Amino acid sequence: MAQRTELLQGTLDMLVLRTLLCGPLHGYGIAKSIQQVSNDSLQIEFGSLYPALKRLELKGWIASRWETSERNRRARFYRLTAAGRKQLVREQSKWQSLIDAIARVMQSDPARGES
Amino acid sequence: MTWLRKLQWLLPARRHAQERDMEAEIQSLKDIAGDDAAPVLGNLTLARENARAVWGWNWLAGLSADVRYALRTLAKDRAFTAIAISSLALGIGANAAIFSVIDALLLHSLPVRDPASLVELDGSDSSYFIYNRFLASSGRVFSGMLARMSDARDIDCGGGPVRGNVEVVTGSYFPTLGVRAWIGRTIGPNDDNRANPAQVAVISYGLWQHRFGGDASAIGRTIRVQRVPFAVIGVAPPEFFGVVVGEAPEVWLPLSSMNSVYPGRNWLDEPGMNFLELMGRLRPGVTMERASALLTPVLVQAELDRVGNVSEPVRAEIRRSKADLAPAATGISFLRYRFSKPLHIVFAMVAMALLLACVNLINLQAARVRERRKELAVRLAIGASRLRVARQVFTESALLALAGGALGLLMCRPVGQALLVLMSPGDALSLRLDVNSQVLAFVAGLSSAAAVLFGVGPAWRSTRGEILPAIQQGFGSAKALPATRLFGRALASLQVALSLVLVAGATLFATSLYKLLHVDLGLNRAHLLVLDVNPTDAGYQGDQAAALNRRIAVRLAPLPGVESVSFSSNGVFTGRNMDRDVEPVGQPKPSDPFAWVDKVGPRYFSTIGAHLTAGRDFDERDDAAGPKVMIVNERFARFYFAGQNPIGRTVAVGEFSKEPKIIRQIIGVVKDMRIEGSHQQPPRYFYVPAFQSPEMPFSTRFLIRTIGDPHGMIGSIRAAVRAEDPALSIDSLDTAEDLLDRAIGHDRLIAVLSGAFGVLALLLAAIGIYGLLSYEVARRTGEVGIRIALGARRSDILRLVLTEIAFLAVTGVAVGGIAALAAAKLVAGLVFGLQPNNPVVLAGSAVVLIGVALSAGFCPARRAARLDPMVALRQE
Repeated sequence: MAQRTELLQGTLDMLVLRTLLCGPLHGYGIAKSIQQVSNDSLQIEFGSLYPALKRLELKGWIASRWETSERNRRARFYRLTAAGRKQLVREQSKWQSLIDAIARVMQSDPARGES
Repeated sequence: MTWLRKLQWLLPARRHAQERDMEAEIQSLKDIAGDDAAPVLGNLTLARENARAVWGWNWLAGLSADVRYALRTLAKDRAFTAIAISSLALGIGANAAIFSVIDALLLHSLPVRDPASLVELDGSDSSYFIYNRFLASSGRVFSGMLARMSDARDIDCGGGPVRGNVEVVTGSYFPTLGVRAWIGRTIGPNDDNRANPAQVAVISYGLWQHRFGGDASAIGRTIRVQRVPFAVIGVAPPEFFGVVVGEAPEVWLPLSSMNSVYPGRNWLDEPGMNFLELMGRLRPGVTMERASALLTPVLVQAELDRVGNVSEPVRAEIRRSKADLAPAATGISFLRYRFSKPLHIVFAMVAMALLLACVNLINLQAARVRERRKELAVRLAIGASRLRVARQVFTESALLALAGGALGLLMCRPVGQALLVLMSPGDALSLRLDVNSQVLAFVAGLSSAAAVLFGVGPAWRSTRGEILPAIQQGFGSAKALPATRLFGRALASLQVALSLVLVAGATLFATSLYKLLHVDLGLNRAHLLVLDVNPTDAGYQGDQAAALNRRIAVRLAPLPGVESVSFSSNGVFTGRNMDRDVEPVGQPKPSDPFAWVDKVGPRYFSTIGAHLTAGRDFDERDDAAGPKVMIVNERFARFYFAGQNPIGRTVAVGEFSKEPKIIRQIIGVVKDMRIEGSHQQPPRYFYVPAFQSPEMPFSTRFLIRTIGDPHGMIGSIRAAVRAEDPALSIDSLDTAEDLLDRAIGHDRLIAVLSGAFGVLALLLAAIGIYGLLSYEVARRTGEVGIRIALGARRSDILRLVLTEIAFLAVTGVAVGGIAALAAAKLVAGLVFGLQPNNPVVLAGSAVVLIGVALSAGFCPARRAARLDPMVALRQE
């Protein structure tokens, strides 16, 4: 099993939006998908995922409705809205510039170079 | 818009729907996840809580839980809740009521254009002559000037005459104020034309509604004032009640037409007749001081021109006069002069009473928190945050303050009305006591302040201290922190101090009122009626009026129950007065020639019960044909005839209307009378026979001494006047007692209210001290038990506790005494017959308070002394 990684503060919203880019999912599906795509290194607890979903919904970046799943179970499915797509782009570019900056700082130190 | 969506969750239905939806979703996910559920889904309770936080109604849920919890605890503790709410309601209600009266009387601006630039000529009234002089020279400082006068007149809108307030105004009145007609037009400069007076009237919105049903056809209709027809040209806006606070004119007439509604009087052409109030509107940038400086020489010159040839001291006096201006944004208020200070004093007293009630509630709340210490400690122990627990305790206080404030608001209007009655008994004041936004804001502020005052302290302290000992020991023997004990004692001393100020004030004002009611007036006010009949309004003039007065007296005298009848111009306790210049013959010119005068009928002095110290009363001999005579009071005699016998001496008396002086012989000396009321120091006064002086266009005051209760005579007296001439109008018919009462309205206001709040303060202080000591004794049960076990006598224990009370009381009395002495300066001029810092009053109040403190503490002290040492020690 891959090593667990702590999620950086504020990145959960972006991960949810990114996951929903592929299509509508219910809450459990979102958690599972993030876990699978990250090779089990990211385990999202529902205790933090659920409030995040509600927060994104309040902001209008995702929308939801009750649907019947593939195995004929009823569940609330979340999908990305147009505003959510724009937000994802913004967050992604912000994220990109952040990791670029961090990478530059990390690589500039000769004592700690690449391992 | 997030906040808007959050607000939606305030609706319980939305909240419950959301709650159900959340449960369904979590359930569905559990089903989907199957066996995997526990590790993947994690802490679902936390998920729910966090989701609620996202929706934003965590605080709301918390609040509603707090409120429900507070309601439950308050309902359980009924006695406390009742005391708390009723004392708060009383305190807040009384404060709000006095605030609303102050607001209506002193703070409320006139509903006119730019009220802030309005000023009034301060002090006495002016004549039309002075007004015109001002008008001619004030253009540089005033953009407009107006003059007005008002009085009760008979108004007939077609349904018979009804007495109502009529204001006569200059043509500049409405334009200067910037008041536009509701419908029609207002009185303008063209209507106020001395050469050709327009018989037009503006009616009040109220009169228009009641008499004309609010019909626009009222314009052009004719109303009659004193039977004289006037054409209605307009209706005043509903919010406009003239410029005098407490008055509500129903009709406005042009000043130039006033002679027709005041028949037989021609005040406009009488330069010495001061009957008008003047107001001006300052030009932008002109200060009141500058306007006053410019108008003063105008006033002085006008006065000098008016009086003509007078002695040099009089001219010097006139040169010293000043045109004082006062802001008139809130209108002209005769009440303001009288009631401003008394109302503020009463305001301070009720504020202190409210503070006292709050201090009591601090103590009571603190005691309740101590009782619940164990419960609160358990809450803290299982993880409630201190803030959360404090909030819970505070919610209780806030609810109490809210309830107290709401009840206080309900009390505001009735109490305010009662205050107005107390201020001016018998005389209906037309004051609008609205619960307006100012009053609402005041009550809200007061309630919040009260909640903070008595809620924050206990709430904060509820979470202090170690949790474990509190849980282990419970309430009985929990060690109070030294700071807490000191705080409790300081509060008790503060209560004693506040109470002392209130009790000393109450004693002071009650003594003052007592002295006012029992001061020697120089006349007998019991069983005396004052009847005000207006012959001039009915068309009688000069000698006709004099003859009429004599006929009415003859009709009244034989009525059953009437002992004696006389009449005069001024009457007693009516506030009307006149002065004339006098010059004793054969004496050096007096430094001050002016003395007050009254024209009185035969047997005036014996009828009102005055005491003649020398000479005789007026009788039928003193008619127009008899020798010219006068009676003077003792001050008059002392001032003009120091040390000599005035009987038989002669005085040259200046008469009304600049007629030549008349030489009169003094035939009697009367003891000084307080003819204007209890407050007044008797001035120099002289009296002339009614038939030896030209008739003046005033009403006549008949003085009727009755044998029994004067109230029973009113009907037969009215009938007798009507029998003489049905056209005669009776302006008023009061007992002298009632008139005197009206003159001391503000003294009664302060005395009654301070008395009530003094008693309340004593009660609150007693409750506070009792509560504090009961707690102290309970806390020290163990210690007292050990003392008794070691051989302390009961009297020792009693002394131990009582010493503590005495210490509290003496500290409080010392602080309160200093505060009372400081406050004494503020009430100077409001107490009659004693000094505000009267040591007897202060010492007496201190003794009363120490006595109350000791008796309040005696029960707990005796309880301590009777402790069974075994029981006490076992408890430890």
